[in-house]
Amino acid sequence: MAAAALCWALRAARQVLPLPCPRQVRSYHVDWRMLRDVKRRKTAYEYADERLRINAIRKNSILPKELQEAADKEIAALPRDSCPVRIRNRCVLTSRPRGVKRRWRLSRIVFRHFADHAQMSGVQRAMW
Amino acid sequence: KDKDKSASKDSTPEGAAKRQDGAETPKQQLLDIIGNMKVEVSYRKKLQQLKASENKKRAMNKLEGPDNEGSVPQGITEDTQRGRPLNPELVKAASAVASSLPRNKKQTESELLAQLRRHEETTDKQRKGGTINIRDVISEMTIKRQSPNHREVRMSGRISLQLDEDGQRLRRERSSAQSMDSRRYLSLKVGKRLNIFTKASTEPEHALKTVSSPTIWDLEFAKEVAAVTAQPPRNGFEEMIQWTKEGILWEFPIDNEVGMEDDAEFHEHIFLDKHLEGFPKEGPIRHFMELVICGLSKNPYLSVKQKVEHIEWFQKYFEEKKELLQEI
Repeated sequence: MAAAALCWALRAARQVLPLPCPRQVRSYHVDWRMLRDVKRRKTAYEYADERLRINAIRKNSILPKELQEAADKEIAALPRDSCPVRIRNRCVLTSRPRGVKRRWRLSRIVFRHFADHAQMSGVQRAMW
Repeated sequence: KDKDKSASKDSTPEGAAKRQDGAETPKQQLLDIIGNMKVEVSYRKKLQQLKASENKKRAMNKLEGPDNEGSVPQGITEDTQRGRPLNPELVKAASAVASSLPRNKKQTESELLAQLRRHEETTDKQRKGGTINIRDVISEMTIKRQSPNHREVRMSGRISLQLDEDGQRLRRERSSAQSMDSRRYLSLKVGKRLNIFTKASTEPEHALKTVSSPTIWDLEFAKEVAAVTAQPPRNGFEEMIQWTKEGILWEFPIDNEVGMEDDAEFHEHIFLDKHLEGFPKEGPIRHFMELVICGLSKNPYLSVKQKVEHIEWFQKYFEEKKELLQEI
């Protein structure tokens, strides 16, 4: 009886508080540009639905043109950081804006560094 | 040296082979026999295809059984089926084999002949329709030498299995259940019941009773206990278990619908006309909304709620723009 209660309490506690485990935690962004990019991604995520719907009204041949012009004005009024075009896929570790491979989100230099130290799973030096 | 064999339908290539062996060494005889064996296997299979009757098939199976053996005694066992006692050719072939093998020749020869005699007995039994206890046979046979006897032991087991497949499997099983050696296999219904898999044991239901909401002290105690008992993982498996509990690692086999609780039926996804009641029935807006609904019904990624929200947003939007629309 007591054992059952204890088990139940343990289970509850485990759900409430995750077990502590040592992990690599990055508590900073590499530079301010990376921070701004993060902000842009967040606002783009928030306004994504609205932008999609307003654009659906704009890029339309059925609705009247006045409606479409009004929609144009509306979308221009949205915050500038909400458009996805402003997002730049930077390197996750060095914030390098160029030479970034999408699959790993790493710049070419970092990728090479890790691959040579055999820390990239399934990546091998090409030879043929 | 070789004698002429009695004419039988399948023996002509063999007979020719035997006659050829005339003045050669025993080793050459062996090699010739082996070489001719390959030809005879295919010939035998062709014969099998041609003849459809069961009796003939049986005979062919017996022949094929020995044909599957890789070693020389093939020709020898075929000969036994023609003549009841061990043929002199058989004896000669056995001596040839024994001489070719590197080990103690007389012993190998005697053992080969003993094997053949036993094989003969089994084939006779099968012909009469008797059942075979493979395991008795194998247990009797002493396995001293490695290659020829061992192979023959396995082959004889395989042969009897093949023959039994034709129709005598049931009989063999029953007899095996009854008459098997006690040390080997017991039937299914012998022995005391262990009562492991009894149905519907309702004991553990009483153990977990409803507990009132946990007090803070209970939680603290539980936290302490968990912190103490949480040992660092001893191996990779425990590490992976820990990760799975934390949610870092997915659960395998991967469930594609984890976290996606879509309780709606398919018709709620596809037939979205009922949400279009707030819109005017004619005009470009209706046309536009019908296109929107058509697109939503084909979208597998959104839940029903999201689709409904989508439509409601458009409704709000067009209501706000009503004055503008009336000017048009």
